[in-house]
Amino acid sequence: MTLLLQGLALGVLTGGLYALLASGLSLYFGVMRVVMVAHPAFLFLAAYLTYTLHTASGLDPLLALPVTVPLFFALGVAVQRLLVARLAPENLPMMSVLLTFGLALVIEGLLGTVYTGSYKSVSMDYATRSLTLGAVRLPYDRIVAFAVAALTLAALFTILLKSRFGRALRATIQHREAARLVGIRTERVTGYGFGVGLATAAVGGSVLALITPFFPAAHWAWIGKLMAIIVVGGLGSVLGAALAAVMLGVIESLVLVTVDATWATMMFYVFLFLTLIARPQGFFGGRLAQRF
Amino acid sequence: MVSFRNGVAALALTSLAISACGGAAQEAAAPSATAAGPVKIGISLPLTGDFSEPGKGIQEGYQVWADMVNAKGGLLGRKVELIFRDDASDPNKVSSDYESLISQDKVNLVFGPFSSRLVIPAAQVAESYDMLFVEPAGAAKEVFEQGFERLFYAAPAIASDHYNYLAEYLLALPADKRPRTAAYASLDDPFAMGTAYGLRDKLAAGGIKTVVDEVYPPETTDFAPIAAKIAAAKPDLVVGGTQFEDSVGLVRALQELGSQPRMAAFSTGPTLAEFPAAVKGAAEHIVSPVGWAVSSGFPGNDAFVKRYKEMFKTDANEDAANGFTVGQIVEAAVNAVKCVEQTKECQTKLADHIRQGSFETIVGPLSFDDKGRPEQAHMIQQYIDGKVEIVLPEGSKAQTAKLVYPKKEW
Repeated sequence: MTLLLQGLALGVLTGGLYALLASGLSLYFGVMRVVMVAHPAFLFLAAYLTYTLHTASGLDPLLALPVTVPLFFALGVAVQRLLVARLAPENLPMMSVLLTFGLALVIEGLLGTVYTGSYKSVSMDYATRSLTLGAVRLPYDRIVAFAVAALTLAALFTILLKSRFGRALRATIQHREAARLVGIRTERVTGYGFGVGLATAAVGGSVLALITPFFPAAHWAWIGKLMAIIVVGGLGSVLGAALAAVMLGVIESLVLVTVDATWATMMFYVFLFLTLIARPQGFFGGRLAQRF
Repeated sequence: MVSFRNGVAALALTSLAISACGGAAQEAAAPSATAAGPVKIGISLPLTGDFSEPGKGIQEGYQVWADMVNAKGGLLGRKVELIFRDDASDPNKVSSDYESLISQDKVNLVFGPFSSRLVIPAAQVAESYDMLFVEPAGAAKEVFEQGFERLFYAAPAIASDHYNYLAEYLLALPADKRPRTAAYASLDDPFAMGTAYGLRDKLAAGGIKTVVDEVYPPETTDFAPIAAKIAAAKPDLVVGGTQFEDSVGLVRALQELGSQPRMAAFSTGPTLAEFPAAVKGAAEHIVSPVGWAVSSGFPGNDAFVKRYKEMFKTDANEDAANGFTVGQIVEAAVNAVKCVEQTKECQTKLADHIRQGSFETIVGPLSFDDKGRPEQAHMIQQYIDGKVEIVLPEGSKAQTAKLVYPKKEW
């Protein structure tokens, strides 16, 4: 029983992290139907930058965010305007897989050249301590990761729902032509949308650096999981992805403590298939995602 | 119709003549070219991808060996030239690399790649060309169950024997001190599982109860739930069949969950220089099997350590030592049988020599059984006061400190 509670607690914390890591992916697909295979590679690029800033200055890894977030936003806009926007629109999802796969390889190669293939890690004093609640222990680094994820997602939702830019972005997601008719400069908005997606990667990367050691090829292990999350959540739905992430995080953790690790990892794909069979638009995507 | 037939016949004749000429020219040129030229050694390594770090380590070991051999005047008086290919950690690429190294580059010898997963496909190719295949990193038991006749693993022990000295030590402890329960978590990888299960089987046979036995796939990114399972079982001994990030992930998560085993053993991870920084103070008293030590005192080791430092400006590691050992064994065989050609005759002589001989290497004296398995065991290292010390086997030249048990809390 204690073990189940412990598994549940860890699952919720990990699910929060998954939600942050997957939010960008959902945004890219929503805004421009781009399947961004390079998202995890950008996460680890951010992790490496965090590592560099942390080792150079000794500051907490999360203090790297004021540097990495604007940088990644600019990088995202540049990637969208210079590369993704030039792909032929007829088969954008397919071509974007190829393009971003190439980007992922470039990033991995650069990281390998600059930082070598050896493992890097950022370990803070609080990384190995935990908060005890009854019989359940909550590791501080996971709590920090969860809190950062929650704050980032809250900020993201606020931007999407309340700001003028958010409204323009949602309009672009829902109906590009109509958005253009009411005077939204959809190209520019699309670029900014991509930038926001990559900015979430900057936050995600810093958090990842806090909780796991990494090496240049580490991103491959994340693509499958994150893709499964956004499909289960409903392609293009940021809220759906967040809910699916927490759900899959909890399921993974519970299956792991009750069955084994192989089944736990497989759960992502089991739910991916179930979603495709039973509800291809995703469990939380609904009307919006059906259009894509 | 007639003219067509004539045409075909003419074409056929011409092509025959050309191929005949080509064949004759090659035959005439071949012996003189190889006899005068360098000894070419073909090697495919994972220089990118998952195994790029150990792959590079082994490449450096091969380079140090080639450099030292060439400084002595080469193999049988001929300069050694290493031809490297990058297989990107891909088992398909590794096969085609060795195919082309052997059939197109006409290398005189091949050396093995890194990791059991790549060694098996590579050895299949080498075997099909009757070539000797000494490899630095294929320790899983499956490697030796493929019926290879020319494969030799140039390290002290196969995976399941890595922890032998530790098993002997634990089982020899008086009953009141001996651990009663053990938890095992292993990466789903033939080498990592081999090490953990080798120890598990010996300890289980000796009466130490297995309370957790987890296998996790390579794409596992979250180790906290696995650690939760281990922590709930409160084992005396925690054994990880690990690589790197999983060893760090498990150690951190066990700490967070308040698990305090009396001994913690992890393969591979703790032997890498990055480990202590990644787990902060928790490295203290963690034990690992290790095939090589800087201070082992085995003949030639000091020279290897020194030359490595000169060439690469950092300290040598186990991967580099394993690469170097491959070179040492092949060098000894070539010098003994006095041939270094790609022919079946020469390669067979080399393999026969290695099978029967015993070799002084920087990882200790090595000999092989009929399947190419080394017949020795790994040393056991432990972090003591933040330094890596060799603690087992007891009384050996390599031992630098006594094993600390039970370990300090992390």
